[in-house]
Amino acid sequence: MTKPVLIVGGGPAGLAAAHSLASIGQKCILVEKEDRLGGAPILSGYAKLVPSGEWAKDAIGGMVSRVENNKLVEIKTGTIVNEFSGNPGSFSAKLSDGKTIKASSAILSTGFTHFDSVNKPEWGFGTFENVVTTTQVEQMISSGQGVRCPSDGRKPKRVAILLCVGSRDRQIGREWCSKICCTVSANLAMEIREELEDCHVYIYYMDIRTFGLYETSYYWRSQEEFKVKYIKARIAEVTQKDDKLIVKGEDTLVKRPITIPFDMVVHAIGMDPNVDNMLISTIFGIDLEPHGFIGKQNSYGDIGATSRPGVFIAGAATGPESIDDSIAQGHAAAMSAYAVAQGAGKVAAE
Amino acid sequence: MPIHEEHLIRPENLKTHENLVIDGVDVSGHWSTFIESRVVTDYNEAIEEEISSLPGGEFIHRCWQCGSCTNSCTVNAVNPEFNPRYWIYLIRMGMESELLRDRDIIWQCVSCNKCTYACPRDVMPEGVMKATAHWLELKGHTPKSPSTVFDEVFAGQVIETGKIEEGRVLRHFLKRTGQPMIQPWLVEMVKRMVFGLPLKMLIHLGLANIFRPRTSQWARARSAINEYVAEKEDEHQTALGLDDLVELAKQEVTSKSTPAGE
Repeated sequence: MTKPVLIVGGGPAGLAAAHSLASIGQKCILVEKEDRLGGAPILSGYAKLVPSGEWAKDAIGGMVSRVENNKLVEIKTGTIVNEFSGNPGSFSAKLSDGKTIKASSAILSTGFTHFDSVNKPEWGFGTFENVVTTTQVEQMISSGQGVRCPSDGRKPKRVAILLCVGSRDRQIGREWCSKICCTVSANLAMEIREELEDCHVYIYYMDIRTFGLYETSYYWRSQEEFKVKYIKARIAEVTQKDDKLIVKGEDTLVKRPITIPFDMVVHAIGMDPNVDNMLISTIFGIDLEPHGFIGKQNSYGDIGATSRPGVFIAGAATGPESIDDSIAQGHAAAMSAYAVAQGAGKVAAE
Repeated sequence: MPIHEEHLIRPENLKTHENLVIDGVDVSGHWSTFIESRVVTDYNEAIEEEISSLPGGEFIHRCWQCGSCTNSCTVNAVNPEFNPRYWIYLIRMGMESELLRDRDIIWQCVSCNKCTYACPRDVMPEGVMKATAHWLELKGHTPKSPSTVFDEVFAGQVIETGKIEEGRVLRHFLKRTGQPMIQPWLVEMVKRMVFGLPLKMLIHLGLANIFRPRTSQWARARSAINEYVAEKEDEHQTALGLDDLVELAKQEVTSKSTPAGE
């Protein structure tokens, strides 16, 4: 019997890796620091997912129970890895519960951290109650409460979604595109319009990056079926007057300053590197890439390889990633880890 | 302060005061000219809804401002102020006062439909131009354009008789648009017709003008068309929020027709 594969992080990528390995008879240990599995879609209470439109609790919840019910996957929630040593085929990890486990290889699916909008104070989050994040709107929808202004519970008549909050912004050291926020925002805009017919939704953008097939099913559909309006402007500041938020900026298409009243402003928050990445980098002895995500060793030969042989990565730990791509990477990393577990890894690593 | 490049500023936004003192500081005269800002302070969502309720405007909400319509536009090539992309944006964002500034240009669309074929999103900009011109007329911002008058005369005759008699259409059109009946090009055309057309056709034309032939059993079709037109006009009136205005006008007419002292 080969040593198990250690999987760190129980989000979509980790769940996919665990399922993959278990389905070919490979034992694995899934370590998750939170008290339950599912990662961001479950822990942050996402509503309907892109692209299937399934509720997160059903789609990702299904992945969780599939893994939980598999005897080849040992699950340790509320646990982190404190020490990690050894070589491919015989790693040793000391866990926070005091136990030490042996592993043939490891997959880091440690995910990302949502950008904290407080770091863009000019856009009013943390100052004005009715400035919220996409995650909060997801929660309003998934909880069944509906989209309401937090200040007084009223139904908003006009909502602004600001894109690129915590993305593509050198001022705050975040130069990457978070990749999924445009599509998520278009999806949310449609959900808002579906729930609140009289509510007009405006999306303020620098570029629209509803990549690939999402162009028609999100960008176009949100305009053509749901009459969501897109305005090319990066907002300068959000202030408040009476019960309205005042959004200031320049409408670049008509070269005109704008100060428009809104009931609710939504920040389409980006994906930061996991706040624990420095720690993860130290414990596992792997390099981070310049933005602070976990570095990939190469892009083509073995997409899950890190700077340390036998340690692989998958999902948003490597940079902003969609759920379906995270799952695909989970499967890919599982394949690499399996090869090491079976003793072929040494050859592959060299 | 002297203003450089003053021609770039709209004259109405330049404010000079003869006598104005702010906080004890005299800011009168040319040297204290203010420039009023052109800030957009609100969106008026009603305008897009109104124009999209008129024929041709249905797909305006699809526009993503690529400018293909303006780039392909026949009129824009002659008049750079003619910019369908810009107007579509003003309508979508409800910038009414800006749209009204161009009220005397919008009708210039020649309906060549090059924009229709260039548009990647099937906005049908030519239709939007038509709907916008129509909207301007219905709202009373512009008088009826000659082409609207022509459409009315033409359609009126079809609805009345089920047939078209060009001579009659032309006469009514010229009369309603206040143009003289004797025009050089018209005289020349009639001359050539008289000399060039076969006698049989000329007689036919003449008789048609005198007897006004109708399509047989046209009455049923006419009432159906009239009913449909009235229904559509009502729809547009309601969509444009003109019901109250029409009601007011009716009351005014009634009160005027009521003899005084009753």
